Amino acid sequence: MKDEIGGNQKRARFQALCQSLRPDLLRFAFWLSRDRALAEDVVQETMLRAWKAQDSLQDEAAAKPWFLTIIRREYARCFERKRFVTVDVDELVAREEPMLAAAEEQNLAEMRAALFKLPDEYREPLVLQVLMGFSTAEIARELDLSSAAVLTRLFRARKQLRVLCGEDTSMDPQE
Amino acid sequence: MMDCAQYRRSMMADPHDPDPRLREHRESCHDCTLYSERLLRFESRLERALRVGPASEVAASSDNVVPLRAGSSRTGLRSTAYRKRMLAMAASVLMALVVGGGLWLSAPGASLAADVVSHMRGEPEAWRRTDVPVPNPKLDNVLRDSHLRLAAGGGAGMVSYANSCGFRGYQVPHLVLQTDAGPVTVMVLVHERSPKPVQFDEQGYRGVIVPVPGHGSLAVLTRGSATDMETIEHIAHRVLDSIIWTG
Repeated sequence: MKDEIGGNQKRARFQALCQSLRPDLLRFAFWLSRDRALAEDVVQETMLRAWKAQDSLQDEAAAKPWFLTIIRREYARCFERKRFVTVDVDELVAREEPMLAAAEEQNLAEMRAALFKLPDEYREPLVLQVLMGFSTAEIARELDLSSAAVLTRLFRARKQLRVLCGEDTSMDPQE
Repeated sequence: MMDCAQYRRSMMADPHDPDPRLREHRESCHDCTLYSERLLRFESRLERALRVGPASEVAASSDNVVPLRAGSSRTGLRSTAYRKRMLAMAASVLMALVVGGGLWLSAPGASLAADVVSHMRGEPEAWRRTDVPVPNPKLDNVLRDSHLRLAAGGGAGMVSYANSCGFRGYQVPHLVLQTDAGPVTVMVLVHERSPKPVQFDEQGYRGVIVPVPGHGSLAVLTRGSATDMETIEHIAHRVLDSIIWTG
């Protein structure tokens, strides 16, 4: 009986953890895939896998990277299972237009359109840093890169974004 | 000594890098101070652009870890087998949640503190020690929806992190203040009434939830056990003193 209550409390705790992380996980999956429907599928599948593997999460403080790793693997599995049709970025932006424009000013929509145009290798570390709050070392670990490579990608990501957004780049440094 | 190009390259890679050499350079270079302000404005816009994403949908469905959309009209990528698998798993998850949720709700005071701690554990990035304040427009945006602002020169400490977080079905301000006692997290829980102050010390977090008459409650936490409860309560009262309710 005691074990049952302990198990239930543990599950409830895990549920609360999933609930608190889900919004950011969904955002991460969205920016990874640039597709809302796919992001939802990936997060759903991630939650199920996480639920089954919850005993392997020893430290709740490491929950976010743990979930992100599952998301990245799950996203990669989608590519193994499906053959995706490549689409033009402008078409992609147009498809997500209702969400992009939702109650936000135009410049945010422009920024998101620019993010859509960033190469995956630049967008992913940027999302990990800005949205998920990862340190350079954590991003390096997650993406299996050196810290120097991560910093270079982050630098290039912002540089490209600033150009795409029409920012004044006259004071920006050269690489 | 770092030169301007090095400084700007570092800032472009991580605008919130707490490296003291960056601060030294910024304080000694007017152009780079201006450059940093511009970059941080851009960063604030970038953060908002990334956060908005599918948030509205997320907020609506954040109560369900495994939302079931039997009547969804979306023609996604899910196959029938996938859906069946999802339903089977969701049913078992739901059973566990009904039982576990009942237990959880039986202790509301402890549950609120536990949820606050759980939320903190999901955002370890917020605990960074830094001397870079969050841009004012970002802070204002986060506080506006909860109808409050902080008094100028707020006595509680510099706000280094501000985010609007989903918590128990509502968007609430989650702030990090840099205080003498180190980074301290504050959650303004306008929808959560607490009849009396609650102290908690669990899972490596120590804090208090204090009632705010007419405005729910306020949670203040520190990480680790270096800060005593009296100091945390003192910080909580300083934060309360610096809040100006606008609605």
